[in-house]
Amino acid sequence: MKVLLQLSWFFKQRKKQYALGIAALVLVSILQLLPPKIIGIIVDDITLGRLTAPGLTKWLIILGIAGILMYFARFYWRVMIFGSAVLLSRTMREKLFNHFTRMSPSFYQKRRVGDLMAHATNDINALQQTAGMGILTLVDSISTGGFVILTMAITINWKLTLIALIPLPFMIFLTSYYGRLLRKRFRFAQEAFSNLNDKTQESITGIKVIKTFGQQKEDIEDFTNLSTDVVGKNMRVARIDALFDPTITGIFAVSYILSFYFGTKYIIAEDMSIGDMVAFSTYLGLLVWPMLAFGFLFNIVERGNASYSRITELLSIAPEITDLPGAIDKRPEGDLHFDIEEFKFPSDEALALHNVHFSLKQGETMGIVGRTGSGKTAILKLLLREFEGYKGSIVYGGNPINQYKQQRLRESIGYVPQDHFLFSTTIAENIAFTNPKIAKEKIYEASRLAQIHDDILGFSEGYETIVGERGVSLSGGQQQRVSIARALIMEPELLILDDSLSAVDAKTEEAILEALKQYRTGETTIITSHRLSAIQHAHKIIVMHEGTIAEAGTHEELLAMDGKYKEMYELQQLEVMVEQGGEV
Amino acid sequence: MSVEKQPKLTGKDQWQVLKRLLSYTAPHKASITIALVLLIMTITGGIVGPLIIQRFIDNYLTPLNFPEREVTAIVLLYIGIQLFMVVVSYFQLMRFQDIALKIIQQMRIDVFSKVHGLGMRYFDKTPAGSIVSRVTNDTESIKDMFVSVIVTFLQAVFMLIGVYIALFSLDVKLALISLLLLPLFLAIVVIYRRYSTDFYQDLRERLSQLNAKIAESLSGMGMIQAFRQEQRLEAEFDEINEKHFRAGMRNIKFDGILLSPAIDLLYTGAIIFVLGYFGFISLDSPVEVGILYAFTTLIGRLFQPVQQVMQRLSIFQQAIVSASRVFKLMDDNDMEPEQQIVKNAEIGDGKIEFRNVSFSYDGKADVLKNISFTANAGETVALVGHTGSGKSSIINLLMRFYEYERGDIFIDGVSLKEYPQEELRQKTGLVLQDPFMFYGDIESNIRLHNKEMTPEEVRGAAEFVRANDFIEKLPGKFSHRVTERGSTFSSGQRQLVAFARTIATNPKILVLDEATANIDTETEVAIQASLEKMRKGRTTIAIAHRLSTIQDAELILVLHKGEIVERGTHQELLSQKGLYHMMYELQNSTIEDVI
Ligand SMILES: Nc1ncnc2c1ncn2[C@@H]1O[C@H](COP(=O)(O)OP(=O)(O)OP(=O)(O)O)[C@@H](O)[C@H]1O
Ligand SMILES: Nc1ncnc2c1ncn2[C@@H]1O[C@H](COP(=O)(O)OP(=O)(O)OP(=O)(O)O)[C@@H](O)[C@H]1O
Ligand SMILES: [Mg+2]
Ligand SMILES: [Mg+2]
Repeated sequence: MKVLLQLSWFFKQRKKQYALGIAALVLVSILQLLPPKIIGIIVDDITLGRLTAPGLTKWLIILGIAGILMYFARFYWRVMIFGSAVLLSRTMREKLFNHFTRMSPSFYQKRRVGDLMAHATNDINALQQTAGMGILTLVDSISTGGFVILTMAITINWKLTLIALIPLPFMIFLTSYYGRLLRKRFRFAQEAFSNLNDKTQESITGIKVIKTFGQQKEDIEDFTNLSTDVVGKNMRVARIDALFDPTITGIFAVSYILSFYFGTKYIIAEDMSIGDMVAFSTYLGLLVWPMLAFGFLFNIVERGNASYSRITELLSIAPEITDLPGAIDKRPEGDLHFDIEEFKFPSDEALALHNVHFSLKQGETMGIVGRTGSGKTAILKLLLREFEGYKGSIVYGGNPINQYKQQRLRESIGYVPQDHFLFSTTIAENIAFTNPKIAKEKIYEASRLAQIHDDILGFSEGYETIVGERGVSLSGGQQQRVSIARALIMEPELLILDDSLSAVDAKTEEAILEALKQYRTGETTIITSHRLSAIQHAHKIIVMHEGTIAEAGTHEELLAMDGKYKEMYELQQLEVMVEQGGEV
Repeated sequence: MSVEKQPKLTGKDQWQVLKRLLSYTAPHKASITIALVLLIMTITGGIVGPLIIQRFIDNYLTPLNFPEREVTAIVLLYIGIQLFMVVVSYFQLMRFQDIALKIIQQMRIDVFSKVHGLGMRYFDKTPAGSIVSRVTNDTESIKDMFVSVIVTFLQAVFMLIGVYIALFSLDVKLALISLLLLPLFLAIVVIYRRYSTDFYQDLRERLSQLNAKIAESLSGMGMIQAFRQEQRLEAEFDEINEKHFRAGMRNIKFDGILLSPAIDLLYTGAIIFVLGYFGFISLDSPVEVGILYAFTTLIGRLFQPVQQVMQRLSIFQQAIVSASRVFKLMDDNDMEPEQQIVKNAEIGDGKIEFRNVSFSYDGKADVLKNISFTANAGETVALVGHTGSGKSSIINLLMRFYEYERGDIFIDGVSLKEYPQEELRQKTGLVLQDPFMFYGDIESNIRLHNKEMTPEEVRGAAEFVRANDFIEKLPGKFSHRVTERGSTFSSGQRQLVAFARTIATNPKILVLDEATANIDTETEVAIQASLEKMRKGRTTIAIAHRLSTIQDAELILVLHKGEIVERGTHQELLSQKGLYHMMYELQNSTIEDVI
């Protein structure tokens, strides 16, 4: 029941609707009592032979009016209560989505997309159930149950009522016991299902790998095992679930037997009429639903509880990276000073970066090279404020980057990530991602700079070509250049190319670098690359090694240093020399 | 964002889908028969119960005459029936669950297997999210149908028949009149179905839009944030959310007008009628109150199943829509290229020959035009060319990801189409342009499903590509956890693991699609050296933009807009002074003042 308290903020917000809805529900549960009462009266009148035509007509008209009133009241509470529940799911979904947009990459690394999706769908659904069916069953079981019992006690026979109710506590006890068992088993079943879901998701996104390795059979086997697990866990749920109905049937049978046994005694003792007995047993029938509802209530509320705590847990995760109070509302530009003593990725024990210090003047280009895993991308991620918690400072345009509003900081940075992610929409919309309303001409211009314009015109749909999920229908180099165009269109103050020319050929690489050189005169650029040709002419090059700067300088200075850079250069040249040696 | 439309189904389509769904019950005939017998027993019990009470009221209570033996008998009968019902209904419920779960499992396996048989073309055009929905969520909503709808419908039919039999045994005339209720029920169902189909589909469509939006936003969150589009996305999401809300409200109102409130109204009407009927008769001639009691109870029982059917209608509706989507996938004929297997075709030396192959993805523009070349056994053939020139496409054909119609490809003189698929997969190894990592650990990422591979082989493969350098530094080494898509590794590290995975299978034909694009030169040279050592007896096809990595190939093909424009060894190509020469010059001249 905790969840109902936790949701009180929402109930307060929808006070009026819930009050009116509940009033309508209560009205229905009162009116519901009329038909059996009237049946009882008429039966009695018939047995005693005192039924008259006007009397009968009167009762029937009352019944008719009650029926119509009930119809409207039933419609009304649905709109009020179920409507509010739908609103709750909308509100929560919005909260969750907005929360997701504030979470930093480390949040996403710890979780699987499938699981987050489950929160946004199943858990929200469970909440909707709580605020709708939950409230309904609560109110209904209390009011219908209460009124029925009261009517039985007051208008027929309170002793018989008590006797008939003897088995009911057992039922409440049993159903809530089942509910508890069910909850645990249900959770396991949910988990099994979500494993199956994750498995399917991964098989499909990795389909090419599975095909390449011809592992379809093994994969299907794996899937079969998981789905067998789903069956098993669900059977465990079913074993409990199937207990509810028979239990209720059984307990009501006991109630009936008790009430008829004692009812007969009262009738013989002339404490009660036969009509009373008939009405009594009809009332008893009316109790089935509130009792069932009570059982449901346990289940719904239990699920709601679990879901609400999962959602609030998610919502309570504070965004790791936020604007400081009084953050600078200015787009940073100027020199960049990068001074990191130490940095660890949140999930890692080892230092990813240590003692990385460099400065970059506005308008300069810097190259970063280094072995795989040496920390090149890590530097860029810190610049983008994707991660924090480092020892040291990063000053851009005169202020530490964490003192700017995030929005403004990112406005200055055009980022082309190493793993490009394209959205499954048209090429034009992908390029114009930062500003969907931008003029077509600007899109073309950015594409020309990224040397992709001609490729795009070559497609039968041109800029309206849908790129497929993650850009699958483009070649590797095309994907890379679309994401370069996406960054260039915002005319960034600081352009970051993270190994973004790895899938393009030398000619295209040169053309892109040349275009950048011409169009970006006063702005700063950072390029990481494994091919030295891409960074050779940078104003400054740093060589990363195991998370720290091993060497720094210009191409010539680095060559003169006779260190790692020279080694790398020679390796790249060596192959050339071998060739040329062969040619001579 | 691509959003799938729910299919519009005509009545006939729905019927077809239902029939096909029911055909899944065939293997469970015996079990279903048992379940049905149990169901009939439960229902009979439910009807006999009130009849006994009625008999008790009429025969003993009204005359206040209680012959001990008869009363004991009737009470024991009642108790017996109730006990019997408790037990039987439990087993009946379980049995149906069991059947439903098994059917759904079979269906899931069928769909999943089918998915594995589909060609890449299908995956290019279908979002992963919607395929996943087919396999899991859609089948789940079909399960609801097998669990609750079918039982409810059957129960309703039996119940209706049973109740009517009872009614007829009580009072033929009144029973005949109450038959009139049936067309009324039917009318409500028909009207409801007519409109709810549209409303309901609208709601489902909005829901799948909502989910698609969440899913894509979650996987592209990094980009959304880097380009500070959070607010735009939130606004777009709000709009979809709002529409979904409206559709939900409309459904509630509509259900409120036609569903249970309407049936309840009808029930009150029926009661009024029964009371009126008996009441007015009783004014002239005596009636048995027991019958009146039984009638009102039975009328109540008549409405119960109808109520339940109405409540299940929307589940039923959704199950039909879901099933039609699942069947659509199952009937899709975008199949994986088919093999016309010639017995015993085995890859021996691994000589590859392309003969006049042309290919198009969309049937309009050719991305490969008349490609012919031969890679002799043990040789290395390199593909170079501008981006988008069709290099990966050649590999897509060689790997049988896409079917080709024009020209043919031979391995050891036998057409690619004539090898059993397993043979091809076993003997060829591909390192993909963008590496994919599975959730799990490093070792499982290298070994994949191959249980026979020893840990030594896994390590050996990692050493081969120099991946052990970084793996050994990880806290868990080879059992270090890999998160979704390997997001905690650097791009190069991911590529190394993917490379090791292929090396571990020790393929006869090795295909490298920019396998070292994100890897540093030092490691690359080391990998080259390892490859060189193992070159004997292995045919290699390599794509690389870094020409240095492929210059010792026996044959270099230069692609341009889908055509091979130059071919030869490195030396030959250089002396041709063509495209290759230009590309080479570009890479190796100390580029003048580029930046
Ligand atoms: N999100 C993360 N969580 C934990 N560890 C990480 C994360 N991202 C990277 N690492 C680790 O930090 C180290 C540096 O990674 P980084 O991505 O900066 O390498 P890189 O120099 O860009 O390499 P590459 O040339 O392959 O792109 C690697 O050992 C990597 O495994
Ligand atoms: N799955 C696909 N569906 C439709 N078109 C495709 C698909 N894959 C590639 N293409 C198109 O076919 C052409 C050739 O692509 P391919 O991937 O073969 O180029 P590539 O030579 O490998 O280029 P890169 O060096 O950039 O990887 C491109 O224009 C691309 O847009
Ligand atoms: Mg990197
Ligand atoms: Mg390619």
